[in-house]
Amino acid sequence: MAEAMHDLGGDHGHHSNTVTLLGRDITVEGGIYTVVFGALAILTVIEVLSAEFLKGAIHDSPDAAVGLTAIKAILLLGIAIIKSSLVIWFYMHLKDEKRIIAVVLLLPLLIAALSVMFVLAIPPTGYSI
Amino acid sequence: MAELTANQLPAAHDDHGHMSVDEHNENLKLGMWLYLASEIVIFSIMIVGYVLFRINQPDVVELAHGKLGVGLVTANTFVLLASSFFMVMGLRAMQNGNRAGMLRWIGLTALGGIVFLGGQYIEYSELAHLGIVLGYDTSSIWSTFGMRFYAPTFFHGAHVFVGVLWALEVMRRGAKGRYDDNPIGIELFGLYWHFVDVVWIMLFTLIYLV
Repeated sequence: MAEAMHDLGGDHGHHSNTVTLLGRDITVEGGIYTVVFGALAILTVIEVLSAEFLKGAIHDSPDAAVGLTAIKAILLLGIAIIKSSLVIWFYMHLKDEKRIIAVVLLLPLLIAALSVMFVLAIPPTGYSI
Repeated sequence: MAELTANQLPAAHDDHGHMSVDEHNENLKLGMWLYLASEIVIFSIMIVGYVLFRINQPDVVELAHGKLGVGLVTANTFVLLASSFFMVMGLRAMQNGNRAGMLRWIGLTALGGIVFLGGQYIEYSELAHLGIVLGYDTSSIWSTFGMRFYAPTFFHGAHVFVGVLWALEVMRRGAKGRYDDNPIGIELFGLYWHFVDVVWIMLFTLIYLV
């Protein structure tokens, strides 16, 4: 893979190809960006396999369907949030940005989350006046 | 969006009120983040619409999951994740002064976007064949699902399409050496492209898996 990347125009400037992961130094072409891509790919595989497994479990155990559905939603959304955070933190370089950028990003998310809570409080049949 | 090169701007904020390249870049990035914040609001509305439908009509969504499948869309997700990687590698190449490498990586980014759109077209065609269409045919159980499904996914696809065009423009400018001194134009496009990737990560999980 590293060789293929070199063919694409591998460069050896100020970006480091060595990443410290869990106390170990890992050297790979692309450095942290390649490590993040690997994590995204692995998490996606885990996500899809978990969804399929839990779908089967819900189908086989109707009595536990409500609990399993909740577990499935929390697990999958948790993985999706981790994946999104990896992209924003490393690929969008939020880790290197000023704090104001994080505020710009989090404020609409906070407003959206609060709005969702209000909307979820509305019964499916709506309010009768 | 007009970016200035190091040659066009003084190196530091001087007495005449000129901005330095760094200040100019910071302003452009803040503007881009603000634009992305507005996009978050728009996509949130569509996602909330889908989530409410998911909660209130679980049987229809379960039925839809059986028809949607995860094979094609998972492959498409990998393509988009890979394109984000290509994008950031393109920026890295330019920051290291490797213009040819940048052009190849951004070219791959655009190719990833085109492949993603092709996969989405195939998926839409299959769904239309199965009767899941955009419209309010009250005799169909898909009458309300169609809008909830197509609105966010098509809107996202439109963003990918714009991203592909932007990537081609970045390549055109990059080939002329526009980013040799100041790669902010590539960085701004990268912010947009990665944002589109983040939106898809959430849509993929919410619509196809949960």
